[in-house]
Amino acid sequence: MAAPISIAVPGQLLGQASDFLPGSGTHIHNSKLYASILGPISKTIPPKSQGPQKRLTKITPAEPARPATVSIERGISLTSAKDGGKKAEVLPDVNSTVLCKVTRIAPKQASVAILVVGETVLDGEWQGLIRVQDVRATEKDKVKIFESFKPGDIVRAVVISLGDQSNYYLSTASNSLGVIMAASEAGNAMYPVSWKEYKDPETGVSESRKVAKPF
Amino acid sequence: MAADPILLPGDYLDPKVLPSHPSKALKLGPGLLHIPPNSIVSTVAGRLCTDNKKNAVWVEYNSGRYIPVVDDLVIATIHHSATDFYYASISDYSSNAILPNLSFEGASRKSRPQLAPGALVYARITLANKHMDLELECVSASTGKSDGLGPLTGGMVFSVSLAMARRLMLPKPGEQGQLVLLEELGAAGASFEIAVGRNGRVWVDSKSVKSTLAIGNMIQRTDQEGWMVEKQRIMAKRMAKEIS
Repeated sequence: MAAPISIAVPGQLLGQASDFLPGSGTHIHNSKLYASILGPISKTIPPKSQGPQKRLTKITPAEPARPATVSIERGISLTSAKDGGKKAEVLPDVNSTVLCKVTRIAPKQASVAILVVGETVLDGEWQGLIRVQDVRATEKDKVKIFESFKPGDIVRAVVISLGDQSNYYLSTASNSLGVIMAASEAGNAMYPVSWKEYKDPETGVSESRKVAKPF
Repeated sequence: MAADPILLPGDYLDPKVLPSHPSKALKLGPGLLHIPPNSIVSTVAGRLCTDNKKNAVWVEYNSGRYIPVVDDLVIATIHHSATDFYYASISDYSSNAILPNLSFEGASRKSRPQLAPGALVYARITLANKHMDLELECVSASTGKSDGLGPLTGGMVFSVSLAMARRLMLPKPGEQGQLVLLEELGAAGASFEIAVGRNGRVWVDSKSVKSTLAIGNMIQRTDQEGWMVEKQRIMAKRMAKEIS
């Protein structure tokens, strides 16, 4: 009834590079298209191009036929079981909102561990970096990391770059981005007071953070 | 005046010993912790001190470990240099502090200070917290002048306890800290220059190696042997005769 989904394994030959356009999850090697990851093959056929236009005075050449794009889908669970199947593997992408926990601060950047992408809680932690110029939208040169984040804070940020081998690059330069949960030096959970302050209800001490606007 | 109480860590303060003031709020200094709502507890072992005019109460104690605080003046030893800054050591038990190349008087991208490993600098702490590495400066950030900060050439550095460094840095060491040694040495004719770092280091420079060593040694002995004012006077006079 339904056409069988063909699964590609990494390194599997998918076709000639001249026949298809490479999509996500594939790569070209020696003008052949290979799969890079394990997953079902999907071909997207572009809309049929119009034939050559006929006019009395001109003949416009036909647009060259656009080849289909072959890609390997990510995030499809291979078993359909509700609990037993593997969790969908979601990766942070550019412009996706993530929740992360600050692991270390340095004068020019804050290292974070990305815990949630969109609505999905990740199995493993991805490393991210918030540079000092990406903390705020205004007065970027006057930002002090120590007054924006502290280790242990939970931060809502947006991915601005997939970065290099070790880090995603994140930004909190928006009103809705920043620290959403923080604990004081005394160890108590704090409440936000303004865009730059959290307050400990027990000791009454205020601490500086780059606070996200609560919904 | 009642005898100054000696406190141990964890001792709750008797409300009777606290000073009171009609308008100012009570100020808690080092060594004391406020536990809401009403108790004040000592976190260190030392002597309780009160100041009725400022309505302040604190504990005078001698701890072994220097905990850096912003705006403290310290004597740092250059360990090695990196691209834009020097790594300097404040104490044996903590990691190196960062001293930017441009934080010296008259420093620009073209002219940087040349400091070899082992050189001493008198610096001010700009960033101190438990999450990040320590940062220093040798120039006042607002005025651009060094105000006595910067490299210390010649002389020798001696270690003293943190309480002694604090006594040396008091505005009136004679009456507030029972320390008249340096005054007496100066009055008796010895000429020397000193710089005191709150991290327990004193730099002494004088005309000859003998006098430098003698003065440094005297400061250390005042600290270790607990000399009172009279003994400091006698030893200072005796030493000044020997040096000059």
